[in-house]
Amino acid sequence: MKSRKITEKAVIITAAIGGVLILIMLIANTYWAYEQSIASTNQAVSAVSAFYLESMADRRAKTITNLINNNFDYMEKAVSVIDDEQIESQEELRAAIGRMKNLLSLSRFALVDEEDIVYTQYTTYTGRSRHPFLANKTLDGRMISTVFRYGSSKDLCLAIPIDIKIMGKQFKACFVQIDINDIVGLLAFDDQESTHFALYSENGGNISETELGQFIGTKNIFDATNGNVSEEEWNSFRDDFANGKKGTLTFTINDVVDTIFYEPVPDTGWELVVMIRESVIQDQFQEISKKSLTANRRQIIFILVVASLFSTLLFYMMRRIANDKLKEEKENSKVFKSMANTDSLTGVRNKHAYMETEAQLNSWIREGAVDKLALIVCDINGLKYVNDTQGHAAGDKLIKDACSLICNVFSHGSVYRTGGDEFVVLLSGKGYDTKDETIADFNRQVEENIKTNEPVVSIGYTTLQPNDEQVHDLFERADHMMYDRKKELKNMGAKTRES
Amino acid sequence: MSEKINNIFRKFLIVAFSIVIAGTSSGYSNDTEIKADDTEGVVDFVHSLDDYVPAKNRYNFYFTYKIVHPWWDAVALGMEDAQKKYLDKGIVITYEYMAPDAASYEDQTKRLLEAQKGDYDVIGVDVADEEKISPVLDEMVAAGNKVMTFSSSDAATDCKRIAYVGNTHNYQDGADLTEALCKKLGYKGKVGILVGSNGAPCHEDRAKGAKDTIAKYKNMEIVAVEYDQDSIDMAYNLAKQMLGDNPDIAGFVCCNMSNPVGTARAVTELGSSAVIVGMDHDQEALHYLKDGVIYCLGVQDCYSIGFDTLQVAVKIADGNLPGDLFPDKTDESTTIIYQEDAELMLEVLYGDVTQ
Repeated sequence: MKSRKITEKAVIITAAIGGVLILIMLIANTYWAYEQSIASTNQAVSAVSAFYLESMADRRAKTITNLINNNFDYMEKAVSVIDDEQIESQEELRAAIGRMKNLLSLSRFALVDEEDIVYTQYTTYTGRSRHPFLANKTLDGRMISTVFRYGSSKDLCLAIPIDIKIMGKQFKACFVQIDINDIVGLLAFDDQESTHFALYSENGGNISETELGQFIGTKNIFDATNGNVSEEEWNSFRDDFANGKKGTLTFTINDVVDTIFYEPVPDTGWELVVMIRESVIQDQFQEISKKSLTANRRQIIFILVVASLFSTLLFYMMRRIANDKLKEEKENSKVFKSMANTDSLTGVRNKHAYMETEAQLNSWIREGAVDKLALIVCDINGLKYVNDTQGHAAGDKLIKDACSLICNVFSHGSVYRTGGDEFVVLLSGKGYDTKDETIADFNRQVEENIKTNEPVVSIGYTTLQPNDEQVHDLFERADHMMYDRKKELKNMGAKTRES
Repeated sequence: MSEKINNIFRKFLIVAFSIVIAGTSSGYSNDTEIKADDTEGVVDFVHSLDDYVPAKNRYNFYFTYKIVHPWWDAVALGMEDAQKKYLDKGIVITYEYMAPDAASYEDQTKRLLEAQKGDYDVIGVDVADEEKISPVLDEMVAAGNKVMTFSSSDAATDCKRIAYVGNTHNYQDGADLTEALCKKLGYKGKVGILVGSNGAPCHEDRAKGAKDTIAKYKNMEIVAVEYDQDSIDMAYNLAKQMLGDNPDIAGFVCCNMSNPVGTARAVTELGSSAVIVGMDHDQEALHYLKDGVIYCLGVQDCYSIGFDTLQVAVKIADGNLPGDLFPDKTDESTTIIYQEDAELMLEVLYGDVTQ
């Protein structure tokens, strides 16, 4: 598979797209989390409300039941005590009733004789029309009824049958009346206006006169809710009251959600209704959510700013690192290249460098781009002899001295060491123009060196001819000429390979 | 060089991470944080005792009234209110409040004679029959008993009872109700009159007021006057009988508490369109008023009658006579209410309009 080169631009675009995608995902995720949080909060509010209301109603209903049971027990004890006393007059009876009333903290405590005359601590009165439970000739057992007193006061009336004789009269019943307001006081609900309660008769009338929230108030609960819930729910609600069942009802008025929980108070025919305004809880939850959301926004913005700064700095630093590395590599490359093309002994270009230059020149020659080019082949005389007789160190010194001679004289040329004792000098430009003088100077210097036992270098030279196709053509001609010169110098006394 | 850059990069990473953690945490460190209606003109439930200082700290009274009936239960509640208020002042008042199941001057006479034998500071009477009971009261007074009358029926004007607390305008109540009926009927048509107990002053006075009013209009005629003896069932039967005898009866005047209830039942059952006017605040009658079966009712302030009766009784027990402390007749009000007032009255008097 053909791999494509990844450009810097591609990396930046990818990084930018990735960054934007991450940002969008981060915001979308936060928004989704917020929506989920609201939905979960609403569910939690409903669940908590229902649980809270049921628990609250249950406790209050039990409180009333306990109150009723206690009063029944107290009445039985009081009657027992009165029956044991030898009461001879109405005054004594009133006094006894008063003692029991105070001792047992009974509310309006009274005895009823078989003619329906009611005896209390301070009064004696005919009570048939006043106390509905006296409508029956006899009481079969414990009786609980609600008394709607003239003047809007309401009492819970608890009556038990009794069978005692006082002052020669047969007594048939005993009862207490508990003011509903006292019961309401016992229930002690919170005053934070988030929860409300009221006691209702089975037909929805408010008995306790406590306000069940702003909307229902003290109105008949059926009238108040009619039209605000479905007909099915409303009918079911009414049936529950009629049958003494518990349940919940949620309705929305003016965008305010109210939930009521109703629980029957055993034996009284009452329904205890507690209400919680879900919006109160929801508002609190939402306020918390909003604050949390605002905090999240701030965090996101803060993170984005930090991330942006961080990314910018990171990008800058990476770019710098990359540039430094690139620069370093270029330098290394240069060194390596220089090392590859330089002769370690003499410091001039080596044969590898010559071959690269040759290849380039061949190309230019083929293109006809070169017209002035001279090539000089140089060969050190007597190197083998020096190596053999004086050692390689002396040989190396000879090579370096010879190279210095070549470089000094052909200062406008390119000098290459192409072999052990061979050098090639390429002349172009000024070097080419002054070649004749330079070559003559070189040869003269060499001839003097024979006498002073300095390095002797044989050279052959040529220039680019129209028929030349490559550098090698020049090299061949120059090489022949160099051999001729070598012989000539030998005759002048120059050292040879052997001597 | 590259080592130096690596060090800077490492330091920057630590600082940046610390700042991010600090910034993220700082987000969490933020605070993640409801008639009194005008019923006073009809019934006054708010009373306080006057400035009179009783001479004793214990009193014992005896009260008897015409018949066991919710109307007098309302009077009893006013008495109880006064008794509690005296008790709060350290004055203990005990009393009997007794009545027969059926109105009877014989029964009342028997009760009064029996009460004479008791140790009562004052004996109060709601006169069942003015003619029969007034002499009994005179004898009791002559025997040294302190006797007063109360509620809706006073004794004869020459009776020696000490004082009276209650309705002093029964004639006018009957006249006012009947005037309302006549106006409603356009001052024409047949009218039936139901009265309570024979001889009961309040009932008789109202019936007289009704008769006199109707007599003013030539196109109006009284077809029957019947007594139900304060029995709803009897009132019902009498009304049915009147409607049977005179199907074109245009209206009824009911002079006591049981009359309008029985008459409304009969009118409803027979589908009559007769207009009913009547007395008092029976719960069933108020429902009929609410439903438009009864046109209007004259409601007496029973509560105040009871409260004031006890206050006057205390003063009488202390040997006071009518004058600056209390009048010979303490008048209590009667208010005529109509359909639009019914619901409120039901709520005020019985607490639950839907009961």
